Amino acid sequence: MQTNKQVLTNMIVKESKIVAIFCLLILSLSSAAFAEDKVCFEAREGASSVTQKDIGEELKNVRCSDTTDGVLWWGDPFDGTQPMGDMPIEADYTHGEAVVKPRTTQLGLYPVCGLACHNGKFPPPVAADAPPRKLTMHTDLVPDALNLQHGKGGIWCLDCHDAKTRNKFVDNAGNLVDFNEPQKMCGKCHGQVYRAWRDGIHGKRIGEWASTGKKRWFVCTECHNPHDVQQGERKSGFAQLVPEPAPLLPKGMDNADHERHGSGH
Amino acid sequence: MTDHKLPIVYDNEKAAPDDDKAAPDSMSRRGFVKKVGDVSATSLLGTAALMTNTDDAEANTEWAEWFQGNYRLMSQEEKAAAVARLERRYSAEYDKKVTVDSTPAEKGVLFGYALNIQKCIGCRRCAKACVEENNQSRGDQEIEWIRVLKMEKGDFDASKMPDGYPDSYGIQVGGNAYSASGVVLEGEHYYEPEKVPEEDAFYMPIQCMQCEKPPCVKVCPVRTTYREPDGIVVVDYNWCIGCRMCIGACPYWARRFNWGEPKLPKKDMNPKTHYLGNRPRMKGVVEKCTFCVQRTRKGRYPACVEVCPVGARKFGNLLDPDSEVRRVLATKKVFRLKAEANTYPKFFYYMD
Ligand code: HEC
Ligand code: HEC
Ligand code: HEC
Repeated sequence: MQTNKQVLTNMIVKESKIVAIFCLLILSLSSAAFAEDKVCFEAREGASSVTQKDIGEELKNVRCSDTTDGVLWWGDPFDGTQPMGDMPIEADYTHGEAVVKPRTTQLGLYPVCGLACHNGKFPPPVAADAPPRKLTMHTDLVPDALNLQHGKGGIWCLDCHDAKTRNKFVDNAGNLVDFNEPQKMCGKCHGQVYRAWRDGIHGKRIGEWASTGKKRWFVCTECHNPHDVQQGERKSGFAQLVPEPAPLLPKGMDNADHERHGSGH
Repeated sequence: MTDHKLPIVYDNEKAAPDDDKAAPDSMSRRGFVKKVGDVSATSLLGTAALMTNTDDAEANTEWAEWFQGNYRLMSQEEKAAAVARLERRYSAEYDKKVTVDSTPAEKGVLFGYALNIQKCIGCRRCAKACVEENNQSRGDQEIEWIRVLKMEKGDFDASKMPDGYPDSYGIQVGGNAYSASGVVLEGEHYYEPEKVPEEDAFYMPIQCMQCEKPPCVKVCPVRTTYREPDGIVVVDYNWCIGCRMCIGACPYWARRFNWGEPKLPKKDMNPKTHYLGNRPRMKGVVEKCTFCVQRTRKGRYPACVEVCPVGARKFGNLLDPDSEVRRVLATKKVFRLKAEANTYPKFFYYMD
């Protein structure tokens, strides 16, 4: 943020000082507004962020927990969504309007992927069947590429990411899949879960309960971190969360020792 | 109708919201009843009508509320009037435009709920979302309709259902005095680990099961709690006398009592309310989950369904085979809590 601001102002200074001052003013104003906006997360901490804002009189897009920053309540379940697109497999699923939140807005590298990087020249492209190797890049996402926390050693980056068009995934038929439709890619290995998701049993939807109603579907990556579904020892696809505070103790009781197993019994 | 109604009003001091504080003593029901003595019912109503000519808007609505009938027995016009009265009072009280909805049950709809006990991670977001939505009391008068119980893995084992007496501590859930099921239902309410789920624990959220045969409805002496045609069990708070018989009758510990004056800060108040749902309550009345009647009758999922980060909560129309609940019932291992109590809950627990 800070560095961007400086770069921008430096550029502008060359043009005209007055414009620069004006821009600086706007920038500082907007960053002041930023500071006040509360950022919460929906299901996956750090990867399903939403900024609280007013969407009407007395109405916020989300209300969040003061203790965990988790979203507790949606003022408008369809805020920031777009149509989901077709299901790859035609079947008997709900026929109401389906919308999703785009994933690409949550991804820091997406804007440069396929342009500055993986553009066919830089870095040198690899073959789709290139064997797993140690990586020096993306260690923040995948600390140890040779011990990918997904698929128990059986899968590799290019089973999901297309080798040539890196800002797309690839399905079993070699079709490119958009980052906003990860289900079409995940579904190629997780058919059963995918079908349950399509039926509304796996995952979740918010909006209208009627089977013909409009719903926002949560896509796979809004809950699962594709690069870490094993979580080491935990072996669980869903990362642990900080719980909301415990309920109020009954009047006259100052601790809950009575219910702690192993102490009272 | 008015004949049987009034004695209840006379006896009931608990149900008065802030009896002596909200209105000056001369205006409070207690004071009023003292003065009026045994005047006939009709003249009482006449007095109420006269009172509406005074300037104090709040006092007027309070007054009229004391004389309104049981919501279930009101005509459409009476309901409309009651709702308009409340909208005026709440809007003044909470400094915002409050709506009190009275949408009736939709034909062909029977609400049902399913919760995946294997997925639940015990994060308690459902309990907090419920408070955001349903205008429960906050702070030292905190009320939550949903309780999440932490159980040790192994405490609950469906395959042990037909076994003998529970070999562990806790409360026996299944069977009867002669043949127990071997299931214990004892959980921790107040667990506070850094992160959930904890190892070797599973979590069991409990809330109103919206029973088809609700024991709470059977015991209510004033019939202020009753089953609606879409299957939810509701409370007309204005008619509740605070006797708490329903709390004792509920096998699921789903009902809560306003022991004190509810504390609902203006900024936290959710202005979209339903008469039978999340409108602000008063001291001395019982409240509980209604599957968010104010939302569900307008088509929207209950707040707890939407907030669950793991998607463990499913909701829909039990009469619609395409609904999410029906799909769960058709494809998953399902059980109901304390099924032997013959309450026929419409809240199902399931496993993958
Ligand atoms: C190339 C095949 C493949 C693709 C594509 C794939 N997975 Fe997996 N996934 C696996 C394998 C293999 C396992 C391990 C299964 C097992 O242990 O039985 C797995 C396991 C999982 C688990 C369970 C982890 C656990 O231990 O509980 C989750 C959750 C998961 N994947 C989510 C996803 C999501 C989300 C996507 C899409 C972004 C995805 N997968 C795409 C192959 C794949
Ligand atoms: C199971 C499928 C799968 C595998 C295997 C996989 N990825 Fe990903 N990757 C994804 C998905 C899905 C996303 C989009 C994540 C989202 O929407 O949150 C993604 C996103 C990314 C991003 C962009 C992240 C950002 O924040 O901008 C990078 C970089 C990346 N992956 C690198 C890798 C590398 C390197 C490997 C191999 C070590 C790898 N991926 C293996 C599925 C996979
Ligand atoms: C609302 C959040 C949510 C969404 C959306 C979601 N999942 Fe899951 N998924 C979970 C949770 C929670 C678990 C259980 C994790 C555990 O047991 O640790 C799970 C488990 C899994 C598992 C392993 C266990 C199993 O049930 O077989 C796989 C594989 C999986 N999910 C894949 C997917 C795929 C593919 C999608 C998209 C089509 C998806 N999930 C969408 C929350 C979600």
